[in-house]
Amino acid sequence: MSFEEKLSYYLTKSKSLSNGFEKDIRVSFLSSFTTNGIEECFKVKCSERKINCTTYLGGYNQYNQEILNTKSQLYQFNPDITFLILDTRSILGDLWYFSHLLDENQRKDFISQKFEELKNLIEIFVKNSKSKLVISNFTIPSKSSYGISETKSKFGLQVMINKLNENLQNFISTLDSVFLFDMNGFITRYGENNIFNPKQFFFGDIKIALDFIPYLSNELMGYVIATLGLSKRCIVLDLDNTLWGGIIGEDGFDGIKLGIGPPGNAFVEFQKCLLGLFHRGILLAINSKNNFDDAIEVIEKHPDMILKKEHFTSVKINWNDKVSNIKEISEEMNFGLDNFVFIDDDPINREFMKSSLPQVLTVDLPKDPSKYTQILEEMIEFNVLEITDEDKKRGLMYSQQKERKNFEKSSSNLQDFLKDMELKVTIKKADKFTIPRISQLILKTNQFNLTTKRYQLEEIQKFSEDNNMIVECVQIEDKFGDNGITGAFIVQKSNSNEWILDTFLLSCRVMGREIEKSILSYIIEIAKKNNVKKLKAEFITTKKNKPIENFLPDCGFKKDGNFWEISLNESFAKPDFIKIGKT
Amino acid sequence: MMSEKLYKIIAKVMDISILEITDESSPETIPNWDSFNSYVLLDELEAEFKTEFTIDEVTETKNVSDIKKHLKTHGIILDD
Repeated sequence: MSFEEKLSYYLTKSKSLSNGFEKDIRVSFLSSFTTNGIEECFKVKCSERKINCTTYLGGYNQYNQEILNTKSQLYQFNPDITFLILDTRSILGDLWYFSHLLDENQRKDFISQKFEELKNLIEIFVKNSKSKLVISNFTIPSKSSYGISETKSKFGLQVMINKLNENLQNFISTLDSVFLFDMNGFITRYGENNIFNPKQFFFGDIKIALDFIPYLSNELMGYVIATLGLSKRCIVLDLDNTLWGGIIGEDGFDGIKLGIGPPGNAFVEFQKCLLGLFHRGILLAINSKNNFDDAIEVIEKHPDMILKKEHFTSVKINWNDKVSNIKEISEEMNFGLDNFVFIDDDPINREFMKSSLPQVLTVDLPKDPSKYTQILEEMIEFNVLEITDEDKKRGLMYSQQKERKNFEKSSSNLQDFLKDMELKVTIKKADKFTIPRISQLILKTNQFNLTTKRYQLEEIQKFSEDNNMIVECVQIEDKFGDNGITGAFIVQKSNSNEWILDTFLLSCRVMGREIEKSILSYIIEIAKKNNVKKLKAEFITTKKNKPIENFLPDCGFKKDGNFWEISLNESFAKPDFIKIGKT
Repeated sequence: MMSEKLYKIIAKVMDISILEITDESSPETIPNWDSFNSYVLLDELEAEFKTEFTIDEVTETKNVSDIKKHLKTHGIILDD
């Protein structure tokens, strides 16, 4: 189990935090019981991730009033994320002990009434606030006056709470800005008897013991990471004593520990857990000091290897130092180092990585391999608010990417390479299928991003319904396969004469193929059809978008104050080797 | 040494200097000693001295001297 300091550590630490980071988040907490201390935990945990965190804790058990009163401090605080943390005891009231004083139908009515109350609260909140709302589900009671007979009773205690949770989940799945936190899962994982401290409950109506507030905060931080687009995208792995037990160079192919029975099964389990992450879009890479031939033989031929060569987007098996290797991996994949997690059993390698590249998340792997899987499962750094189709296919797309790179190397010049790529650009409008992906691109794209405006999903939803705006995205295919939706743009129709390019971005995976010009030509054509005279665009410099600082002038835009503009009377040269279409 | 340990815990939780703490220190004399901090203090004392106070002992505790008394009942010898 991951380790957290006691609450007092956070209370003390929160008094001496530095501010002035680039990222900001405003978080509010509403709860049916005492959750003091959670603000301090969030501030410390945000600060560790270089985020300024401003918090608001609603009055004790005042969540109804805070949400129903549109002038409440909650709304005035204007949060980005609101956590509504409720507990089963409060929702059940006396039924916690006496549920059997009601008959089956009365219990059903009670649950539907409670659901309606919560639904109403959620709807009012969504109407009055731009904040994301994260509501906790209810812990399934594990005790009853009926004892072992409880599970025989019709619509008994567990079924009641399950039903309420199910209703909540179904309702929330229809709302973009509302999320369900699995509190029941959290309490099951750490144990109700650990989390509930009766003395703290009787003295302070504390239903999550003080020492578990940091654990709860850690779980909830997953929403902050996802909201700010700070999720990690790639795990870089050592081999010896990380993916298998022993050292291949010393123990040999038959001597390493990997397979049925301990300790080899701990490594098999760890590999399965990694493969699970791969299938949801986390890329894997190898960074190992070994003889290439020895190590690659295990990956290609060992019968108990779960991870195969095709699961690794990049493989560095050599005698170079691990920091140089990870830098190369980052360049190959075209993502910044802050997207990487480094997993290595050797504390010296980890220290070297931490001190040389603090932006890489180096995991403190325990000495005991039986604990590897748990550490990985409990990491919150891979959280995104919604898993898209692009995520699920990402591993495959990157192996096609390797083929593209090889093809590029074999081509004699760039123009021929691009022509032979059979590039196809398809413009898609923003709808319920594409908006989650557009949102992901808007939150994560750093390099090819003209304005780096980070809009949340709900804002993009609103823009897409606005007649004065165009929100579209771009799917890119080539002879090696589908790159998926890898570009997006937002155009503001400011008036009948001029439009403004509010957002224009392209995933780094497809940069350098003149696709950007093709998309721009599409926008220009639409503008011309609408008799627009000029298109304005902005370039907002960030630390990361320097490579495209000349994109606008290269396309013929002229500087005018803070903006760049292009007159639409002139013709725009679009790359003729790219097919462009619209669905 | 044990008294020093107790004072250090109180000082940390209440965010004050050890020198400010006396036997008579209580929620009336220390502004940070609100109800929530008293739960934090209780939790810290139980963890640091590896003991558990009863609900009656906690209810009776009004100041530092009461804490010392209860620690003694739990077999924790304080020097002073």
